[in-house]
Amino acid sequence: MIPRHFLIVTGVLFALAIAMAVYVWELRRRETLAPIETRTVQPIAPPASGRTESVTFWVAYDAPAQLRPQSASVPLSSGRQQRAQELMRFLLEIYKDKNSSHRMAPDAQVRDVYLVDAGTAVLDVNASFAGGHTSGVLAEELTIASLVQTLSASIPGLTRVKILVDGKERPSLAGHADLSGFYDVAQVTELAKALAGQ
Amino acid sequence: MRSNSECRGVPCAEVRDRRRCLLASLVLLLSLAAPAQQPSGQPGAPVSTSAPPAPAPPLVLIDPAHGGADPGAMLNVAIPEKDVNLSVARRLRQDLVARGVAVQLVREADGTFPADQRAAMANATRPALYLAIHSSSTGGGLTVFSAMLPPAVQGRGPFLDWSTAQSLAVQRSRTARDVIVSAIQKTGFPVHGLIAALPPLNNITVPALAVEIAPPTGEIAQLASNDYQQMICAALANAVAGAMPSLKANPKP
Repeated sequence: MIPRHFLIVTGVLFALAIAMAVYVWELRRRETLAPIETRTVQPIAPPASGRTESVTFWVAYDAPAQLRPQSASVPLSSGRQQRAQELMRFLLEIYKDKNSSHRMAPDAQVRDVYLVDAGTAVLDVNASFAGGHTSGVLAEELTIASLVQTLSASIPGLTRVKILVDGKERPSLAGHADLSGFYDVAQVTELAKALAGQ
Repeated sequence: MRSNSECRGVPCAEVRDRRRCLLASLVLLLSLAAPAQQPSGQPGAPVSTSAPPAPAPPLVLIDPAHGGADPGAMLNVAIPEKDVNLSVARRLRQDLVARGVAVQLVREADGTFPADQRAAMANATRPALYLAIHSSSTGGGLTVFSAMLPPAVQGRGPFLDWSTAQSLAVQRSRTARDVIVSAIQKTGFPVHGLIAALPPLNNITVPALAVEIAPPTGEIAQLASNDYQQMICAALANAVAGAMPSLKANPKP
């Protein structure tokens, strides 16, 4: 004959197992129904403290189509790669502002910046950056010139920049600007000067 | 006594056959000799004794960008960029032909042409100028782009690198761009000259430009309007026709 206490413990454990399964199922349902915005992984915040530096951001404007240098004091790391990542994230915050004339998607991000050797940088942007970008030769050139020129102005020695989307090579940014090759910094500087003088 | 069927000891039928054979040979010789006496042009064509024939007009290859499965930018919910590009290209062809410039279009209808195919067509046709047409909501007026490539002094052997094929012609492209921009500026129309990494400009071995048309006041509907397209095409055709003398015939690669 099975002892009574053993039956009671078995019953309690069985009831606990059912209760936990219901709870897990409920948690999963809540997660599925949660709005996407609250689940979006935000980029790593730039350091709130640290040495503040004056840097030049080359900011694009759609109307009139121009690239303007703007100085700003921002806290930056001393390491080249971290510094490059922070610069790009600061720049993107400018374009996400509702007053920006060269708006980008709210969830557009620069996922990472890799300095693979002394003269080469690889910018990895997310799919929303490219997918939500205005399509057009001039609009896309403004963005490329803004990213490359801002990076090369504060990271000395850069000679070429490659742009990836979600870690992969893509033919163009939004149907026009070529992303299949490297951007020559000297050529982009020539473009930036022409856009600044328009 | 000779019989009627004999001529000097030879049968008359045989003599007639020999005469016919001689006559046929003579006719054949004359017919073969006749073309050799014609002038070196088309047989029967009037022969000019003074001026040489007029040179063929310079050719502009107009490329209405995008098309088919690639709509380009959606300028608004109803206007894809590919349609505006094709419409402008057709008008520009009319205006250029009226100014004595020969024109060929990369696409006459809504078809899909990859960038490499467009470049291959330009390289095979060898026009005096390849001109891609784009339209956009950004900017105002016209922007003329040449390739974002440093000029090369000379080629490295008989083959060109596909990704930098334009480098030998980029200096002439920039000159043509500046001539076109300068001519349009004189009309008071807003226009800018820039460089761009825009396929397939880098892969083309002849002078190559791209033009992006934007509405002057930001109203997209203007891009599709007849008046605006007419005004743009007239200004562009004048400028391109004016730039033709600076674009000499393209040497064979």
